[in-house]
Parts: sequence; C-alpha cells; structure tokens
Amino acid sequence: MQEQLQTIILKAQEAVSGVTELAKLDDIRVQYLGKKGELTDMMKMLGKLSNEERPKAGQIINEAKQMVQSILNAKKRELDDAKLAKQLSEETIDVTLPGRDVDVGSLHPVTRTLNRIETLFSKAGFDIETGPEIEDDWHNFEALNIPETHPARAMHDTFYINESTVLRTHTSGVQIRTMENKKPPLRIIAPGRVYRCDSDQTHTPMFHQIEGLIIEKNASFAQLRTLLIEFLRQFFEDENLETRFRPSYFPFTEPSAEVDIATDLFGDGRWIEVLGCGMVHPNVLRNVGIDPDEYTGLAFGLGVERLAMLRYNVKDLRQFFENDLRFLQQFK
Amino acid sequence: MKFSENWLREWTNPQWDTNTLSEKLSLAGLEVDGAEAVAGQFTNVVVGHVLSVEKHPDADKLNVTQVDIGEAEPVQIVCGAKNVFVGMKACCAKVGAVLPGDFKIKKAKLRGVPSNGMLCGATEIGLADDGVDGLLVLDSEAPVGQDIRKYLDLNDMSIEVDLTPNRADCFSVQGIARDVRAISGVALTQPFDIKDMSGDRACTQTVTVSESQACPKYLGCVVTDFNTQAKTPRWMVQKLERSGLRPLSLVVDITNYVLMELGQPMHAFDLAKIQGSIEIRLAKADEKLTTLDDKELTLKEDTLVIADDSGAIALAGIMGGVSTSVTAETDAIFFECAHFSRLAITGKARKYGLHTDSSMRFERGVDPMLPEKALNRALQLFTDIAGGTVSVFNRIISEADLPKPVTIELRRATIGSRLGVEIEDAQILEIFKRLDFEMVATDAGWMMTAPSYRFDMSIEMDLIEEVGRIFGYNNLPETPVLAPMVLNELPEDIQSLMSLKIALVQRGFNEVVTYSFVEEVKQKLLEPDLPYVLLQNPISDDMKAMRTSLFPGLLQTVAYNQNRQQPRVRIFETGLVFYKNDSDPTGATQVPMMGGVIAGQVAASGWDEAERHVDFYDLKGDVETLVRMSHQLAHIRFEACQHPALHPGQSASILKDGKEVGIMGQLHPSLVKAMGVSGHVYMFQIRQDALMHMQIPAAQAVSKYPEVQRDLAFVVDENLSAQALIDAVVSVKSEIFKAVELFDIYRGQGVDPTQKSIALTLKIQHAERTLQDEEVEALVANILKAAKQAVNAELR
Repeated sequence: MQEQLQTIILKAQEAVSGVTELAKLDDIRVQYLGKKGELTDMMKMLGKLSNEERPKAGQIINEAKQMVQSILNAKKRELDDAKLAKQLSEETIDVTLPGRDVDVGSLHPVTRTLNRIETLFSKAGFDIETGPEIEDDWHNFEALNIPETHPARAMHDTFYINESTVLRTHTSGVQIRTMENKKPPLRIIAPGRVYRCDSDQTHTPMFHQIEGLIIEKNASFAQLRTLLIEFLRQFFEDENLETRFRPSYFPFTEPSAEVDIATDLFGDGRWIEVLGCGMVHPNVLRNVGIDPDEYTGLAFGLGVERLAMLRYNVKDLRQFFENDLRFLQQFK
Repeated sequence: MKFSENWLREWTNPQWDTNTLSEKLSLAGLEVDGAEAVAGQFTNVVVGHVLSVEKHPDADKLNVTQVDIGEAEPVQIVCGAKNVFVGMKACCAKVGAVLPGDFKIKKAKLRGVPSNGMLCGATEIGLADDGVDGLLVLDSEAPVGQDIRKYLDLNDMSIEVDLTPNRADCFSVQGIARDVRAISGVALTQPFDIKDMSGDRACTQTVTVSESQACPKYLGCVVTDFNTQAKTPRWMVQKLERSGLRPLSLVVDITNYVLMELGQPMHAFDLAKIQGSIEIRLAKADEKLTTLDDKELTLKEDTLVIADDSGAIALAGIMGGVSTSVTAETDAIFFECAHFSRLAITGKARKYGLHTDSSMRFERGVDPMLPEKALNRALQLFTDIAGGTVSVFNRIISEADLPKPVTIELRRATIGSRLGVEIEDAQILEIFKRLDFEMVATDAGWMMTAPSYRFDMSIEMDLIEEVGRIFGYNNLPETPVLAPMVLNELPEDIQSLMSLKIALVQRGFNEVVTYSFVEEVKQKLLEPDLPYVLLQNPISDDMKAMRTSLFPGLLQTVAYNQNRQQPRVRIFETGLVFYKNDSDPTGATQVPMMGGVIAGQVAASGWDEAERHVDFYDLKGDVETLVRMSHQLAHIRFEACQHPALHPGQSASILKDGKEVGIMGQLHPSLVKAMGVSGHVYMFQIRQDALMHMQIPAAQAVSKYPEVQRDLAFVVDENLSAQALIDAVVSVKSEIFKAVELFDIYRGQGVDPTQKSIALTLKIQHAERTLQDEEVEALVANILKAAKQAVNAELR
C-alpha cells in the first residue's frame, strides 16, 4: 500500500508540474481527491482491512492526500503569482508622463498684495469697508476738508463726471461713510480702485489704495508711527527695514507725514515713498459728528501697486494693467 | 521749486554738505526731489583774453589766436569757433585741463600749427546750452587768468524741493532759509540792506482800488530816465537760471529775482502804454484780455483784473497783458507790488488754463507785510544796474482787509497726548522762537502768534505739527496703539469674494484687472441699449465710458494675449460696473460683478486625448462651481436668452429665484472681429451678491436603508430643453424621491430625427425603512405620467 500511495503521489506530482492553467489543476484535484478520485478510492478500501491495520493505513492515506493537496496548493500559488506578475507587468506605465488635470491659474498681484495687507490688519481687529467708485463731491472732497477753493484740488488730477461727481481720487470717502454710519471707536481699512487723470511711465489713470482709520480716545501720532513701522516690517518680512517719516501735507490730516522705506530695488535712490499718514483733521471729525476733543483719529493710505512692485520685484507699473498672461502666471 | 544752494547759503550757512542739507530739509517737510551740480566736473579752465585772431594758413574754418591767460607769455590756440574776436574774454582750458567726460587737453598741432589749449563753449564745460553757436562770451571785465569755476561761481548745486500747498512761505530763498534756521538753529542774515526807495517826484500814474477785499494792499511807482540799454548782470542771470527761470530782459529778470529771493510777485507795465488811470476791479462780462503769452481770454465776472481806461490790462496776481508789456523800447515803467487775497486768486488761473509762478504763490498765500520790502529791493536792484528816477510810492492800503496775525493757544498737555511724547517747555519755546512766533505764557501753555507769512496756522493742531516737525517725527518713541480687544464679526452665511476667486484660480483662471473706463464704440457694440456714464476729461478717447459690464476689458485682454501667441486664455475679473441712473446721488448704480472669459483648447496639452476647443458647457461648469460653492444650485436656473453680445443659440440668462443675476454664452460671431479676438470665445458675468449668500448647514440624518436607482430614457421633441423635462419630473413630490440626474443625450438610430432621447437617473430612498417594490413602481409611474403630460415625453 505504501508503494501504491507513493506511485500515486509521484504520478500526481508529474501531472501537476506540467499544468499552466488553474482549470487543469482542478481536473487533477478531482482525479486524485475528488469523490471518485484515486486517493478517495483508496480510503474506501480501508473497510476491508483489519481493525489493527486500519488506523495505520488510514494515517498514511491521509498523509498522501495531504501531500497531494500541498502539491496542488503550491502549484496554485505559483500560478496565481505568475498571473498577478503578468497583470502587473502588463499594467506598468510611464509614471513620468504629465498628469491629466487643468492648469492652476493665478491671482492678480494686486489682489495678492491687497489680501496680504487686509490679513495683517484684520488680525489686529480692523474691519474691511468698501464704497462706490463714482463719488460725490462731499465724500471725495468737502467732508475731507478740501473745499472747492483749496489748492489741494489741483493736486488730485481728478476725473470729472460732472460738476459735483467724480471718480474717487482716494478711498477716503469710505472713511467718511463709515464714520457717518458707525459710532467710534473704529478700526477700519478701505481697499479699492482709485482714479487720477495722469498717465505715463510711473502713473496709471487707475490704481489701488488701502486706507486705514483708527478712531480712539487718546490715540497719538507716535502710536500711528509705531503701527505703520510694524506694518511695513511685517509686510516685507524684514525686521530691520529702515523707515523715514517726513512731514507732509494732506488737508484731511494734521500732523501729516509721508513714509519712505530704504530699498535698493529701483537703484535710483535710497528712499522710496510708500505711504501717507496723519492724525485726522479736527474739521473732518466735526464733519461726521465726532467730537475732536473726545476722540482722535489716526489715518493712513498706501498705494498697493507700489508695495506690490517692491515686494514682487515688478519694475514697470503698467504691467499690472496689461494683463499679459506670461506676467500674471508668475503669481501662482 | 528750484533754487541755488549758494544763494541759500548767503542767507544762512549751516555746516552741512549738500546731502545733509537735503536730508534735513526733507525731514522738516520740504521734500528735496534732487540736487544737481550746475556745471560738469572740470579743472584748469581760466578767463582768457583773446589778443589776436589770424586765419589758419591751411584751414578755412580755423583761426590761430594768441590768448592772455594771466601768465608771463600768451598762449597760441587754434580755434574753430566762428564767434571768436579780438579783445573777447573767453573760457580757456589750459594744457593739462580735464573737461567733463574726462577729456584731457594736451599740446597739439592742428593742420601743422601748434595749439596749446582750447577755447570753450558753454556745453564743453558742462553748463546748460546758452544757445550760442561757438564760445561762451564772458563779460569784458572778467579778470584774466581767474579760475572759471570761481569766476562763474560754478561750485553750486540746483536743489529742487517739492513744496506742499501749505508751505507757501517757502516759495523763496528767504523762506527756505527761514526753515533752515528753524531746523539748524544757525543764524539767518539778510545779505542786503533795504533802503526806502520812494522818491520825491510825484507818481504820475493814478490808481484806484475798487475791490479792497481782494486787493488790500497796492503799491506802485513810476521809474523814468534809466538806461534802456542796461543788461542783466551775470550773477543775476546765474541765480535765475539755477532757480529754473529763463532770463528775458532786465525788468522781467528783476521782478523774477525778487520773486525768487523774497517770494513777492510783482509786475512791470510800460507806463506809456497805460491809458489813463489804473483801476483794480472785477472783470466785466465777456471782457477780453490778451495775456503776455499771447492767449486771448474772455474774462468772467469773478476775475480780478488790473484795468486802465481801455479795459483790462492784466489778470491780477496771475499774468500781465500784452498791450502794456515792457519791451526794449520802454523808457518809463510803472512797477506794481500788491497783496492779493488768496480767495481772489484761487482757482482762477486754472480756469483760464494758466499756471504761473505768481498765481501759484498768491493762491497759497503771500506775506502781506512783504510788498514794501520787495518793491524797495526791486527798485534798488534796478537803479543800481540801470539808474533812473523813482517816483514817490503810491500806497493804497486797506488795513481792515489785510490778513491779521493769528493767535492760537497751545496747551502743554495737548502736545503730549497728540504727539505721544513729553517735550520740555524750554525746547518748545526754542522751536517757536526759531519759527518767529511771539509767545505769551498762559496757565495751560502759551498763546502763540504766528508770523505774517505763515498762512497755514489756524488751529492748535497746526502748532503741534510744528513742534513735531522740528522735534523730528523720527525721534518719536515707539509705542503701540492701545485699544480694547474686540472680536470682529465673522458672518458664516457670507461667502468671501476671495474664496470664489480661488475657486476660479483652481479651475485654471488667471485674474486680471482692467480699467473701469472703456472704449465707447466697443461698449455700444456689446450693450447697445444700456445708458452709460461718460467722463468729462478722459485720458484718451478710448477710455471715456464707464463700463456697464466687465466684457470690454476682458475681451480686450483676450485680444492682447491672443496677439502674443497665447492660444489658451482663461481669465476673470471682479469689480464694479456702472449703470447710469439719475436718481442715484452719484448718477450711477454701481454693482459689484464677477466675470470671466475662456477661449482656446480645453487642456494645455493632451498626450492621450484628442485636443478639444472649449465650449459652452465648459464655461457653464465653471459658473456652476461658483454657484455650488454657496450651496444654492437649487435657486439658480439657466434659461436660453437673447443678448446683443452673445450668440443667439448659445446664450443663457442666469436666474436666481427667478431674477436675472447674470448672463453667459458665446461671444456673438459677428462681434469677434470688432473685439479683436479670434476663435470661439465664451464669457460670463454674474452679480457678486448672487454668489455671496450662503446657507449655514443644518445637517439631516443619513438614511441607513438602501437607495434605489431607476434609469429612464425619455424620447422628447428635439427643441425641448432638458430643464423642461427635469422640471416635469421633479414636479412629482414624494418623500422618497431624493434626486434626479441627467446622464445621457442620444440622437440617431431608433429615435425619430425630430426627437431626441434624454436619460435620467432617479434616486429613491426612504429615511426609515427599506423600500417596497410597489412604492418605487408607483413613483415611477407618476413620474412617467407627469412627463407625458407636461412635455409629451415617452419612455423609449
């Protein structure tokens, strides 16, 4: 019996070794281990053996069955592995080919700069306010202490719609509207498009400003200066940024100053003007019903394009409005 | 304003070099725009005396000269200039001289004749072009052998300051000097004495002032018997040139000189041309005046004029008239030196398209105490140079109308609280002393009286500004703003514009910023029926109309980029559009919009997909993304519409709750060429407020029970919109009918050519239990019935 089993195992082994398909392997399993399989038949013969012989014989037949099963299993694994390997090989791709996706576009550098400034001030508790761009005389001039006869009107290169309506020359009108509608204390910034009738290499007839306003009790000029130095250092991420406050003149602030920063970017001088600021003129506060003895106002205004140029190394102001995609896509 | 540094230093001379002086001026509020050397760098150029001039033996255009340069022997110089003459004083570069541009003068032979130096023209020594073709002709008294830099005072700078409108007092060398004294503390000395020049002879020119408020002080005098041939001396010409003024004639130069030196505008009339009496009055309606620059003006009644019996002869404080102007033949002059009030002059020059040194000063304010001093100074200069007899001064002064000195209280405590720094009393007093204020102590501080030239002083803050300015803004301590900590509002149902922008950027859009004013013609082509706002004074004709949509700017940007080999364009812009509306206080309804344009291929490069041009549905997907972001797709519908800018078969109105909030579609093919673009261009514009409102989520339980899907293919009329079928389907209300999605459109075999098949997936689910087949079938049956009834849809 031992020999007979050995022969069966060898035969099964031989049969399995030539198999290349799983289906064939199953045929072999049926042939040896199926209901009418050769080893199953051997099992059926156990009944004919004596009680003493039966356990021993049973054991070796079982061992033979296990042997055949393990031969089958090994082959099955081998075939599975080969199949998977074949599939993987067939599915291999060139992972260096470009992905299938749309391009990512870009935010305009002015938006990017505005957003940076807005974020800085928002974190310090400033609200963002906006207003109309076609503005009436009161909000653009009169309320800001710039009466009709004021020489400062000539400084503004104003675009006129008619006698009493203009394209806003600054976003200061938003400050007036806010002060008219909200009670102090106030902390706001007003970003937006502004217009001046001037066009050459360093001027575009439209540009962007952000103005800021603080109305508090006992706010001081020293505090305004400190805030703006801090802002400029954070904006440019340069703790050692040099600044210079020059006395200047705006009808709506007193004292007034212009602020320069030291830079080599333009190569034509050490100091570049980046913003104007001052304490809100008492007349302006009175015009919006705020008592200048109770509250003081700190205000500042800055040109967004100028800051964008300094921050992003843009040499020509006009590029911002040409909207050349090759320029814009550098601001992803 | 430009001035000569050396001139300033005649008045006050702090030990600062030019750069330091400029920096100090800027930091005191007189912003220095630049400082320019008046001459180039050169050495070894001296005054030469041309002793003889002989023709060069071998060259027609050259002369051989002998020039005395103050040395033992004259030098021989070959010279090509035409204007060389015997006896002239000229600039002579000696052998060894280095001229601007590192041009070295060596011994040379010109056509065989030795030449030991060079006679120079103005530009050859780096001076401004004097218009002379040839040598710079020096005065006959020029000392031979003296260094030209010394003789012409060339070690000088022209400094340009950009004065703010409040600092009219600095529109002169005297004014700048006063501020330099205030900054430096170095004494100020007027470099000349003022004598009373009023003569004995009667002033033959009578004057009446009818507008004493506008002209509170009018001084005039007649000068006769002077040398009409007298020329402006070189020192005066130089100072004028270095102050940016062009020398014209002695009389004009002297008035300009006094203007620059002291800040007082003056005017000189040719006495013989004045007809009868002078009157200072307002212009009569439509009165005519031809100004010195030959402009014929029609005057308005609010304009102050100097008139004689014939009518207006000068615009007061702005410009003289041509009829009474001083010429080479003038042998009697009427000098005018007046104080005109700011309000009388402000804005007038601009109205007539004029802008003069005089009007600029009067508009901002001229010291009312100055006319006497200025007239005396001018007459002294004039008689020193040209001689002559001065009449008695005609003085018409209305004290009541003259600006009064301003006295303001300055409180010690206010200085500290406003500036944010404590300053010692002594320092404050020193500052105001240097600024020529008069001070009287009070309990809280001081009463300060401003000098007559400070028109910018009216309130306490003006004084505090002066303290800060002289103390130095940059010396203020660093101290943060102290304010209560308040958390700002953070409304969650408002979508930020930035998140919408970023959504578009992530879909490949580039943000652009275009001008809010556009070309009228293009706007009319795109939106012929919308009234728009026009600018009165546009930069150019193609930037005249305020935009009524973002399309003109966007399309122009597409054209710009297509012309630069950018075949694929995806751009967007946000900003206001302006609808003319006379009932709005600003004359326009100003609406924030978001708009975009796409053109070209879908993908930048498709290595495994066929290239495809963008179409309507690409753009619609972009728009739907924006809408989805605010979770309000259910409120938005797209309906076919007609718009003059858009293809009639590919344009949709975007409706929110039934109201139009935007449009989208293909640019009308007939406008493609006019807009300068190429190919099919798709564009959208939607009101920002339609995208801004969001719903704060209120979460619903998620059903644990299986969802049933049923796919239904309907055959409908070819012209039926998908929306109409969907509307019919969703008109069937049921708690288990969750959603419907369109998944296929089919035309062709099996479907009648006049019809199409639209395939929908119905999603059906119960929140609390597994669905019964019968319920589903009943729902589907209802839907089929509704679709049949509403749009005659048959199941395929």
